[in-house]
Amino acid sequence: MDDQTSILKSQLYDACQDACSNNPDKLFSQEDLMGLGVLPPKDVKKLLQIIQLLTKERLLAPVHFHNSLAWRLRSEADAAKYKQLTTEDQMLVYEIIDLAGAEGAWQQDIKKRLNLQDIALRKALKELESKRFIHQFTTVENATKKMWIKTGLQPSARATGGPWFTDQYLDEAFIDVLQSVVMRLIKEKGSYRSTGERSAARSVSPVLPKKGVIRGGMSEAAIKSKKRSVDAMSRDDAAAAAGPVSKFRGAVRIPLPAGYTDYPTTEDITASLVESQVAKGQPLKTEHVQELIDILVWENRIEEVRMGDQVGYRAVRISKQNPEYVKVDSEDFWEPRTNGLTTVPCGKCPVFELCEEGGPVWAGGCEYFDKWLA
Amino acid sequence: MLVTKNVAELCVLLIRELYGQLPSRIFADLLGRGRSTVVQIAQHTSLNFRQVRHGIAVLIQLNLIYHNTDPESGIVNYEANSYAAYNLTRTGKILDMVRNKYGNHGYTLVHEVLVQGHAKISDLVKAFQVRRNEQHEGANGANGASQNGTSHNGHNHVNGNGVTNGTDDLDMVYKDEDFDIEAQAFDNLAQLIAAGILEPVTPMAYQSPQDIRSTVEQEFMADYPTGLRGSKQTSEFERNVRDKLREIQGESTRLKRKLELEFTYELGAKRRKLTNGAAANEFSGAKARSVLLEEFDTVLRVNYDKCMVELRNLRLKRYAEDLIGNITAQVYETLLAVLSKKIPRCQVDRSIEVEEDNDDAHTGPRVTTQEVFEQLSSAIDVSAGIGFPSEDTIDIRRAEKIRRYPPQLKGSTLHQELEEGEEIVGSDDEDYDHSGEAAANYGYHGQNGSDDVKMQTDDGLPVGAARLHQMRQHLLILAESKEGFVRHCGGRDFGEWTVDFEPLMQHLKFVELDTIIENRFGRHGLRLTRILREKGKIDDKTLPSLALMKKPDVHVKMAEMEMGGFLDVQEVPRDNNRTAARTIFFWFFDLDRTLQRTVDNTCKSMVRCLQRLDVERLKRKDVLATAERKDVRGNEETMLRGYAYTEYVQFIDVEKKLLGQVMRLDDIVAVFRDY
Ligand code: SF4
Repeated sequence: MDDQTSILKSQLYDACQDACSNNPDKLFSQEDLMGLGVLPPKDVKKLLQIIQLLTKERLLAPVHFHNSLAWRLRSEADAAKYKQLTTEDQMLVYEIIDLAGAEGAWQQDIKKRLNLQDIALRKALKELESKRFIHQFTTVENATKKMWIKTGLQPSARATGGPWFTDQYLDEAFIDVLQSVVMRLIKEKGSYRSTGERSAARSVSPVLPKKGVIRGGMSEAAIKSKKRSVDAMSRDDAAAAAGPVSKFRGAVRIPLPAGYTDYPTTEDITASLVESQVAKGQPLKTEHVQELIDILVWENRIEEVRMGDQVGYRAVRISKQNPEYVKVDSEDFWEPRTNGLTTVPCGKCPVFELCEEGGPVWAGGCEYFDKWLA
Repeated sequence: MLVTKNVAELCVLLIRELYGQLPSRIFADLLGRGRSTVVQIAQHTSLNFRQVRHGIAVLIQLNLIYHNTDPESGIVNYEANSYAAYNLTRTGKILDMVRNKYGNHGYTLVHEVLVQGHAKISDLVKAFQVRRNEQHEGANGANGASQNGTSHNGHNHVNGNGVTNGTDDLDMVYKDEDFDIEAQAFDNLAQLIAAGILEPVTPMAYQSPQDIRSTVEQEFMADYPTGLRGSKQTSEFERNVRDKLREIQGESTRLKRKLELEFTYELGAKRRKLTNGAAANEFSGAKARSVLLEEFDTVLRVNYDKCMVELRNLRLKRYAEDLIGNITAQVYETLLAVLSKKIPRCQVDRSIEVEEDNDDAHTGPRVTTQEVFEQLSSAIDVSAGIGFPSEDTIDIRRAEKIRRYPPQLKGSTLHQELEEGEEIVGSDDEDYDHSGEAAANYGYHGQNGSDDVKMQTDDGLPVGAARLHQMRQHLLILAESKEGFVRHCGGRDFGEWTVDFEPLMQHLKFVELDTIIENRFGRHGLRLTRILREKGKIDDKTLPSLALMKKPDVHVKMAEMEMGGFLDVQEVPRDNNRTAARTIFFWFFDLDRTLQRTVDNTCKSMVRCLQRLDVERLKRKDVLATAERKDVRGNEETMLRGYAYTEYVQFIDVEKKLLGQVMRLDDIVAVFRDY
């Protein structure tokens, strides 16, 4: 190796280091490397020669990227590790695990790619492990898979399952708690809490006729003559009977006017969650919160509202919701919806398909009906 | 008409429940075997001719079967009308609706028609007189109306008969004001006909739609002795047929239109007097009466199509109440009442209205804020029911956005979510209703009370203006709702509104379906089906991570729901071995199938309720027999002693519960199939 080449080599390496200082995982294509301006333009031959040298010294790692070759930079310390490896197998295995990064590599995969004997592979892995170069971990996607990762790296979110997993187990209690908090935020910001005594609200608009507002656009003369049509009276009764019956005494929640622009967005909710530190120190990102929100949407607890180019969320059936903070799976979360099939015993009957007059079960002698009618 | 076993069973049970064994047996046979002649029926049912003829006469009178005479052989064929039979479930609901909307008199008349199947105007007037007299003597309004020898009174029990007696006082008022009973009958009849609840029976009503169509087609075919050639002739032919069919249908609405004209005229006159037309349903009957007198022999029947529209309105109001709030729902009810004056039936009749009228969809019935406001009941406090956020959080332009076109239903089965209405024309931001800006000045939340006064003197608007704008706020909320309860479709007269029933009902089907699923499989089950509905087919590896659920839990739930028929699974083997481990399982949600299945299951449940009712009746048949006696009826408490009375009361309770349940089940069928 002549001096010039070795200088170019270290120059290229330095230039790469600069180029990826804020993104250590940056991949360099051949054009990228050429574009760094270290090598004389168009001298592809020289470039390839230097790349080869760097690769040999493990300072560049070749990776397949979009059907072509690209390179990733490896730190000198990392590259040095390869020097400590004694066998070819160790080197190959370590390289795969090294390149797999935070995702880790599956033992079965390594075996397939290197076409190694099981014994040889296990030996190599063991040696690497004893050198504290790699260690085993489990991924939530498949707890039985033997996964290996470079020592010093944390398994990726995909492997750990992100904030929803605690020791590879889906932390449902945690999810439920967060869900309830999200629900509360949406309820609070996306509806109006009426305490039942609307007098305060009313008195600010003194021109409003209060009790017994007269129908429609009647003129004042008509009001004075107070000849109300017969059906208006009967309607009064009906309306009074169908007055608001809330299961929850006192306060109710009522919807906000159309065109409201302050329904909380995913970003708003994330910010509130982070601020309130309910997440047990787990870093919650917007995409995680979005997952929680999606679930609430799928459970028909909340719905999307389009506000211009933003999407906010509000609670559905707001007037049937418990106005206070309740857990999502609590009994008095709201007045549950019912319909004919939820109240009839047949709706949930385990032998519904079999039930027939003259069959093994039938309506006349059915215990579900007995219970229901009792 | 093809019906499932459960629907057939239900129809037969309903007929038996209301009209007895004989007609129901014949009806069952007709349903099972399709068109038959009297001879065939007699053979199949082992009844004698006299019985069959009698049964057929009853069924025809009740409009439960069609008949068709072959013009050549003169043989008469009978065919079951399962739709009409199913509608019997709705008897109670229709009567309730009529009572609420058209008062006790209307109730009496419609009840009479329902029991008789159809009735002449003259007979109705007579019957009405008898009933009114009975009622005034007996003072027990609703009970008096339920004596008809049929087991019909079951429905009255369900409807709670005490409720309406309050209105009797009003009757007295009428009386004082010098209305005689006959005039009342005419007034109410005229009103019911004009509203479309009752309609004249035409000969066509006894023929099945297919028969009518083929007759008409044959008639026009005669014009083309060589058959239809080319698309021009075909379309001409089709247009002719369509026009003729429409004309036939128009016949039954002739009287309605005539009466409507009178009403509008009267109303117009009244409006001029009162400047703002407060009284809507009151009118001096002279004109209408003379119209009806000419039609003394016209036979009337209940127009189920129209009744369904009214029932749908009630239902929609309840949805609005559930999903938005009580006050908003009442405003919605008012809007629907005004709008549905222009709607003859729930579902567009595809045989008559075809694509070429498609423009109608955009210009379909609409109402203005002003029209709704005129009908708004004074009891509704429109200032309540909506929150008061600070003003700068409201985007008036968005709230007042006008959508000129209905939302598009996305076609595929798996993805039926509704998209925002596609605005083809006028999608620019300027397309919003400016009347909202005036509303802001009125301050529906009343923060600028002083402005209110000023504005009023400025514009010289009546006191109602603030109220009108408050009402508009409720309409806007309805328009903004995800379900699309109304569409704000224009800016004339403080805004125009319409309802896109088809997509709305689609949404409401989901509401019901979700209710059922959540009730049976919990919120996690609901979560999973909703994911499938939104994303289409999903394999069982992806699902747990989307749903944030444990894999085994997901599998258990999915299996459970598949068993219940709410989900389907598709197996895609990864290789030829087809081992379970090498197979991908795709879950999916087949909406159409699920809907059909649910309807059928609902019918089955209704059948079970009615069967149970039979059994309960049998169990207590002694007590019931006594209670049926003329001298006991009405005085059950004193005549039945001790144990017998308790048992009787218990039975009434059971009956009430079971029939009430049937009605609730029918609500589901209606939403899924009929509205
Ligand atoms: S009648 Fe009884 S056994 Fe039959 S489906 Fe209903 S609940 Fe089940």
